[in-house]
Amino acid sequence: MLWIALRPHAPPDASSRAHEPPPTPPEQQALAWWGLLFSPRVCVLEEAVLLEAGASLRLFGGQRVLLQRLRDELPLAGGTGLAVAPTALAALALLRTLPAWDESTPVPAVSCTTLRLSVTLDVLPLTLLSAARAHEDVLARLGCRTLGDVRALPRGGLSRRFGAALLEALDRAYGSRPEAFEWIELPETFSARLEFMGRIEVAEGMLFGARRLLQQLASWLLARQRGVLAITLHWEHDLVRRGELSHGQLPVRTAEATRDITHLARLLGEHLARLTLPAPVLAIRLDATETEALETASASLLPEEVREGESLQQLIERLSVRLGADRVLRGQLLADHRPQHMQVWAPAGEGVVSAKAPVLPKHLQLHPPWILRQPLRLTVQGERPLYQGPLLMLAGPERLESGWWSLLSSAEAEGEELAQRDYFVARSPQAGLLWVYRRRSAGEPAWFLQGMYG
Amino acid sequence: MSAALRLVLPPCSPDEVAGVWRADQLHQAPQAVLSSGHAELDAELPGGGWPLGQLTEVLQLQSGLFEWRLLLPALKRAVAQGPLVLIGAPLLPHLPALAAAGIPAAQLLRIDARTPAERLWAAEQVLRCSELGALMAWLPQARPEQLRRLQLASTHTQALVFAFRPEAARHESSPAPLRLTLRTAADEQGLSIELLKRRGPVIDRSLSLAAPLPVMAALRKRRPLQDPGHAVDRPAPTRPTRRQLQSA
Repeated sequence: MLWIALRPHAPPDASSRAHEPPPTPPEQQALAWWGLLFSPRVCVLEEAVLLEAGASLRLFGGQRVLLQRLRDELPLAGGTGLAVAPTALAALALLRTLPAWDESTPVPAVSCTTLRLSVTLDVLPLTLLSAARAHEDVLARLGCRTLGDVRALPRGGLSRRFGAALLEALDRAYGSRPEAFEWIELPETFSARLEFMGRIEVAEGMLFGARRLLQQLASWLLARQRGVLAITLHWEHDLVRRGELSHGQLPVRTAEATRDITHLARLLGEHLARLTLPAPVLAIRLDATETEALETASASLLPEEVREGESLQQLIERLSVRLGADRVLRGQLLADHRPQHMQVWAPAGEGVVSAKAPVLPKHLQLHPPWILRQPLRLTVQGERPLYQGPLLMLAGPERLESGWWSLLSSAEAEGEELAQRDYFVARSPQAGLLWVYRRRSAGEPAWFLQGMYG
Repeated sequence: MSAALRLVLPPCSPDEVAGVWRADQLHQAPQAVLSSGHAELDAELPGGGWPLGQLTEVLQLQSGLFEWRLLLPALKRAVAQGPLVLIGAPLLPHLPALAAAGIPAAQLLRIDARTPAERLWAAEQVLRCSELGALMAWLPQARPEQLRRLQLASTHTQALVFAFRPEAARHESSPAPLRLTLRTAADEQGLSIELLKRRGPVIDRSLSLAAPLPVMAALRKRRPLQDPGHAVDRPAPTRPTRRQLQSA
């Protein structure tokens, strides 16, 4: 058994909240969720979080490595102290001996091995054990200052005088009686709230708090073995103007379920950067609105070639957020004979297009690699069209008539009629090979530039 | 003096030091390259192909001209590794033709960034993507320090990275290890390449590449562009005059 007691941050203003204390302060709950990263056996005991990591040692590479990691990451998770002991109550008592943490030093930590458990506990002040603290005055008058003094008293008399609870707590702390705890369970849905110490005036200022909530989300996702598809960040404005203002919210979606909170934080940051707050913000809440089961790949025994960087899907999402979804595009081929309808461009962030690509006829390889968004009308000199010099027709015509079925769409109608075009390959002295067409419908014939071969 | 130096410096030839090469030889240090598909060009490029993970600057008189002819053979191989991203393309890529040439539509991503700052930002983000196959960015107004950022970002990838810039920039300094100008050859058929900068000796002649597109072979064979069987049931249009059709 390896019990690790963690001390959460003190609540920002405990006095003002005293009239209605929540069942578990949010700081403690966040720390408990974080503890689930290391062991499924996590419980909340009085003011601390306790986790039993005896079964997880091998996974994390041994006791020393695990404890070092816990100690390094504890400040990020909102913890301020760490104590290790073979029993839960001993760990809690040791945690209470730790000094307050000042931020410049490593997190204070203390540990005690099984062999030295009773020696260590004997010298601790009896107030460190909650069951003994209740009878502090009486015990002091009996001449007891340490837990060792209390334990030296006759057991029968101790039980008659102070009740069975004190004796039981003592036995549990010394490991002579089994302990039982209620392990914490995660809620079905994720929703976490954070109150700021001050007022946040700029939207980007919320990102700092949102990062802490995302950290909790990461623990929740990992313990539930899920990935997130959509999150919503809610914020509450200053009370003063509550009447006129509604609280704001910001939904963020990802195309693939993810557990990568740096990516989520980046997405949130891009959105928040473009936001102006109508009033200062006091608190935020993060909801995971859509999650799905996520399977992670198991790590390989052999070292693999590690490619650093983000995935394509993450890249597309980030570009779409900054530039707009309609400017990060992926094309799709359509089975159509008209050059202006052979492809359609859709936002790349909207998931993978599943439609099967049509089988292309062979002659399409003779089409130019570039086409113009709008055909460019060419000036004509005599009978020859001009584009950076007079054009020399090399091949053609290839006659393409447009579909009567889409006459209503404006791209099909040239004037009042169907598009009827004769395509030629032409050479321009400056611009290389061009793909031009002559319009045969709608009034006088005219030449247009459709594509460029280069 | 030289005797004293010989005492101080251990005897070594430049060939033994990584990253150092003789000025009259091509740099042959182990560097990932992808064959350009043009034998004449490969012979003059350090390592024998387009460098992977390095910025290559292509200067052209007019954007939208000749890029595909020069790069298609290499891009075809690069898209097998990952997507091809176009940033600020001057014209619309014609997917059917590109698909027929070996670049599937699903592997092509088009980013319409308008302002120069947006293009640079997007290019830098794209270079952080681990799956990238090739990047083509049109950066008419990039400054040397901005290109330097791109060059640094490129070194983290294993992709082809091309920046297209106007030929007026040929006299500006540039951090790209490979710079070339791209024009049409004098005979108006092939391409003419001038290597402005490379890891190797200065080359003062321009290379000419045939770089044919399928349509050129078809033109040479004087085959019609499409089977007459597909033509519509209308009288043939007035053909271009004999004068226009002469000397194809």
